[in-house]
This record gives sequence, structure tokens and C-alpha cells, in this order.
Amino acid sequence: MSSIDPLTGLLDRFGCMQTAAKLVADATISGNVFAVIWIDIDRFKQINESFGHLGGNMMIEDLALRFRARVGGRAELARMGGDEFVFLLPKCDRAQVQQFAAEFVSTIEAPMTIGNLTLHPTASIGIAIHESGEDALTLLERADHAMFAAKHRGGNCIVYSGDEPIPGRLGITLAREELSIENDLHTALETGGFRLHYQPIIGADGRVEAVEALMRCTISGQNIPPVKFIPVAEKTGLVIRLGEWSLLQGAMHARLLHESGYDIKVAVNVSRAQLVSPKFTEALYAALACSDVRPEHVELELTESLFMDISDIVQQNLKNAIAAGVGLAIDDFGTGYSCLANLKDIPANKLKLDRAFVTVLPEDKRAMAVVRSVTRLGHDLGMTIVAEGCENKDQIDALFDADVDSIQGFYYAKPMPEEILLPWLKTRSAK
Amino acid sequence: MNGNVLEVDGLLERSLRDIGIPPCPAILSRFMDESQKDEPDYHRLSEIVGSDVGISAGLIKTANSPFFGMRQRVRSVNEALTVLGLRASSRAVAGLILRNTFPYTAPMERFWDASARIANLSGWLVQHLRITGIMAEDAYTFGLFRDCGIPILMKRFPNYRAALDAANRDGVRSFIEVEQTEMPTNHAMVGCILSQSWWLPEEICLAIRNHHDLAALSSVSSRLPTLSRKLIAISQLAEYLVQQQLGLSFTREWPKLGAACLQTLGLEEAQLETLYAESISVTSASE
Repeated sequence: MSSIDPLTGLLDRFGCMQTAAKLVADATISGNVFAVIWIDIDRFKQINESFGHLGGNMMIEDLALRFRARVGGRAELARMGGDEFVFLLPKCDRAQVQQFAAEFVSTIEAPMTIGNLTLHPTASIGIAIHESGEDALTLLERADHAMFAAKHRGGNCIVYSGDEPIPGRLGITLAREELSIENDLHTALETGGFRLHYQPIIGADGRVEAVEALMRCTISGQNIPPVKFIPVAEKTGLVIRLGEWSLLQGAMHARLLHESGYDIKVAVNVSRAQLVSPKFTEALYAALACSDVRPEHVELELTESLFMDISDIVQQNLKNAIAAGVGLAIDDFGTGYSCLANLKDIPANKLKLDRAFVTVLPEDKRAMAVVRSVTRLGHDLGMTIVAEGCENKDQIDALFDADVDSIQGFYYAKPMPEEILLPWLKTRSAK
Repeated sequence: MNGNVLEVDGLLERSLRDIGIPPCPAILSRFMDESQKDEPDYHRLSEIVGSDVGISAGLIKTANSPFFGMRQRVRSVNEALTVLGLRASSRAVAGLILRNTFPYTAPMERFWDASARIANLSGWLVQHLRITGIMAEDAYTFGLFRDCGIPILMKRFPNYRAALDAANRDGVRSFIEVEQTEMPTNHAMVGCILSQSWWLPEEICLAIRNHHDLAALSSVSSRLPTLSRKLIAISQLAEYLVQQQLGLSFTREWPKLGAACLQTLGLEEAQLETLYAESISVTSASE
């Protein structure tokens, strides 16, 4: 059996396997590190289709010449067939292999003339470093798999074996660190690791008008902050589940509060992923049916990122929510994507001023002017105004003076679990 | 503090009695709290389950179900917990509470009987057909919870029974589509939302959400996890076999979904006859 590729004069697949097996044996005896680089030329199929196989072969021959010139005696080169090349690098650690791969990226990208066209080829590169006890075939397969991952990322990049994304539990491809967060999320979902905490919202008369439900995630006693798990939840679709879970828990809690004699609404955060889904209305009605709550006791807080693009489906979902009888509040107003046009387009009955305007009060006169104007505008549009993030009495006085309707913040209370909220309300109403 | 927790628990229990659906029943919460400890105390778990006679009896019966295939019969809650393991036990406890949650009426009894038979046969089918990547206990749990949205909607909407009858009779449109001509929601979505709050795994919740959705089951672009698809396929097959054998709660789902279910499970139409004969003893042994 031949071990040389006739087109390029490099080792062929068989030769590559033989050489790799020998290098693995050497590495096992010497303890030297040994690496494999697997290269696949991007869009080679298009070259073949545009220039015919002759053009494709010219490109392969040209690349093989470049590789040979660049490598010197540092690596064994092989063509695995088609547009795939393998470099076997004896005595090469991760830092060296990285430098070597970077050199080859520039070698590949140098302009190439085929026919009367100048091309700038790119490649998807997978790298695997030999692990103790591993055979040649497994090592080559890992490099090939890493190359596929690079191709999957859109090509023109390098992926190390072990770093490549793998499908998570729900079949969505994730990076390694994301996989462990996804795993944590499932554990929390199956063991009651998610809880809602409630932060009171107080009116000018001192009455508790509503509580905002805020999600907390605990795994093995460790608190996991939302910034850590929300991106993975969004990627895997679990964010919809978390949103629906909050909606049902919040609605159940609203019912519990009213059964206990408190006329308090529960505000639940709704994510963009939920609102762009055609199933949003079904899910909202399902939560209302399961909890048997009066819809007017539930309020949906619309995330500010929703306003990037208010599509027809979002508009319809919001209309359906109003028809179902729940309240709508625009959250974090005044920062990010929220703008005055949203006030016109979104049928909300409450506006929550972002904490950025509140924390600088009462000293910042310009912020004060914004608060006054937005409050007046909101009132003219039939909305009530809530200020978030209040931490001291001066801020509260300034906000009520600006005609803000109600206030949420640490000055009154931090978010608390339901078993604390009821006694807190009892103590407060006793006062 | 403890007093406050008890007070909240008490209110939740009252909600349970009043409206039938708890956000998550207190007994299940206590069971889950104990079972997720590093070294769960089986004695304490037995006490939690033992506080409800119906659930204790149900758990022992579950452990003796044919698909768990135990040689010796289980006689105590403690044994049942050991035999089933904590994961299967918590699912079984959830299933038992679910059933106890709804008031006992004759139509409801028939509904739960049908669910229990489908759940049992689903568990048996997984083992008998050696379906890979799926556990019998998950198929069993899915069978129990799959239609739990129906009693909730029945209680909330007076016209739901008519919508349900129409959906059962419709041989062309999807079950959900027919339901939603009368309702703003449907039993698959309600069941999914309830199961989420009872801490069932995501794949089971997604299977409940999509169990009448042909596109989610068979489309190449569907993002439904493989496990969810297999759960749906197994339970539709189990329902078809139960209905053939006992003439219970006839639906028109098999003509709509059967081919996709067989494909998902890697079965041929010709195998159904043998399967029908083999499964008779399991179906009649249920309940």
C-alpha cells in the first residue's frame, strides 16, 4: 500500500496513520509532548465548482508547496484527501503549537492566483495534543473533531480539542464552561434551587401597593447571580421556562397575598424571549388558570431590551395581555433602548424610572428636571410612575415632590423570600 | 421564623384544598429539600412520605410496578425509597400528589385510571422495546403528568368539556388547534407550566408542552430534545394500545401522530400486532 499522496508528494492517509503511530510510541517512551494540527480549506467546494477539479488541484498543489517550504524539518505533513491536511508535530507543547498554527494561518492566507483571479484562502484548524496512554487514531480523531468545530464556528479560526462546543442536555451546542452552567440550571430546576424574592413598592401614603418578584438561584448553598446564568438560559431556551415559572409562582403569590387580606399586586419580569414567542399568550393564560388569581393582581414588567425591536408578534402579545386583564409596566425607563416612542407604542399603565436618575438625587438638578418631566408626561399618558433604587429619605422627599406615585428601594426594604414578606407586611400594617 | 414558615405552608395547603393546584405541594418541597442534601436521611424521607397514608401506599405500589422488575415485593416506604432511588421516588411522590390533588368524581376517576394505565404501559414499553436514551421511570412520570392540564381547564372554564370533546373527535386538525378555537390556552401548555413548578426535568416539561405537535415531533428543524420526542412517541403508542385493548377515552391522535411516533422509536407498523398481544397483561394489571 502506498503511503505517499500522488498529487502533492506528502504522506497520504495511510502514511499519516503509520507516522502518527510511530510518534505516539516515541512520545510514550521519551515523555515528549506531541501535537496534531488538522487543516481544512474553507469554501474549497466553491473553488472546485468555479474552476473545475483542475483549479482545485492547482490550489492543493500550491498550498502543499507553501507548507513544505514553511515547515522545514519541524513537522511531518500529510494530505488526508480532498482539501484536508494534517501536520504531525513531535516535541511540541501548547505554546509552540499555537505559534506554529499562527504561522500557518498567514501561509494559507497569502494571495493565490488561479486562472485570472486572485484568491485569499482561509482554513478551519483543529489542534489536539497527545494525552498519556492515547492511541494515534483517537488523537487524530480529536484533531478532526476540533477542526469540525472550527468549521461550525464559520471557519477561518483555530479550535483546540477539548475547547470545542458540544451539544448540551437540550441538544444546543455550548462551550465547556457554559455546559457546566447549563448543568447547574437543570439541577436547580429539578431540586427547587430557584426561588422568588419580593421587593415592596410603596405609595406616597405609605401603603404597600405592589411587590416586584425577583429570581434567585441557589445551588448547593451557593448563590448564582443572574448575570452568570441568564446568557446560558437564553442560549438554551431555558430562559422561557424560567420566565413562565416566575409567572406562575408570582401569580400564586398574588393569590396568597389577597387571601391573606393584602391588596397588593405582584409584578413579574417578562423576558424578551417570552414576548417574541407566539406561545406567550397561551402561557400567560395557562399561568392564570393554574393559579386562579384575579388577573388585575398581576403585573408584567417589560424588560428594556424588548424595545430593540417591537415586532407585530410582540404588539399582539401585549394586546392579549391587556385583554387578559394583567397590568403592564415599562421597566428601567430612560436608559438603554427605551425611548419616548415606546411610551406611544406600548400599552403600559406603569412606568418605572431607572435607578440611574434616582441615585444622583436630590443634588443633580438636571436629573431632577428629567424626573419631573417624565412623570408629567407619564401622567398625561395615563400611567403611574414608580422610581427604582431609592436608598435615602432625601431621595424619597425629592421624588414625591416631583409627583412620582410610588417608590421601590432599599430605603423601604430589600427583596425578601415569601416566608419573610408576610410577617414584614403584618408588622408594617400593625404600625 | 419557624412559625412563619408554618403559617405560609398552612396558607398554601389551604390554596391546595380551595383551588386544587398548589405551586408546589409542601410534602414534595420537604421531600426535595431532604433528598438534595449531601447525605439524605432515608429515615427522615420515610417520615415525610409516611405523613400521608395515600402517598405511602402509592409509593409502595409504584415500586412493585412491573416495569421496575423487582424480584421481591416491596412492603415498606423505606424499602420503596431504596428500591426506586431518590430521583424516581421524588417523581413518583409528585405523581401521587397530583392525583390526590383533584377531587374524586367518577369522570375524574376514569381520567386518572386512563393516565395510570398509559403511564404503566409507557414504562413497560421502554424496557420491553429496549428503547435507548430514556428511562422507564421518566416515561412513567410523563404518562402521569401528560394530561394534567385537562382537569385544571375543566375546573376553570365551564365550556372546556365541549372543547375537549370536539378535540377528541377531530381526525384532521391538531388537538391543540381545536381546543384553542374555544380557549385562550390549551391543556398541553397548562400541563407544562404546572410540571415546571413541580420541578420535573425540562425534557418532560417540553414533552408535555409538545405532545400533540406533529411538527415538533418529526420536523427536521424542530429543536425539541430527542428524549422529549421519545417520551411523546412512547406515550402515544401506549395510549393507542390501551385504547385498543380497553376502549377507554377514545381519541383520534394515532392516525395523526402514529407514523411519526413509530419512526421516532424505530418501529415498524407490522410490529404493532405482536406488541398489542404482549402488552395485554400489563394493561390489565394496571390499577
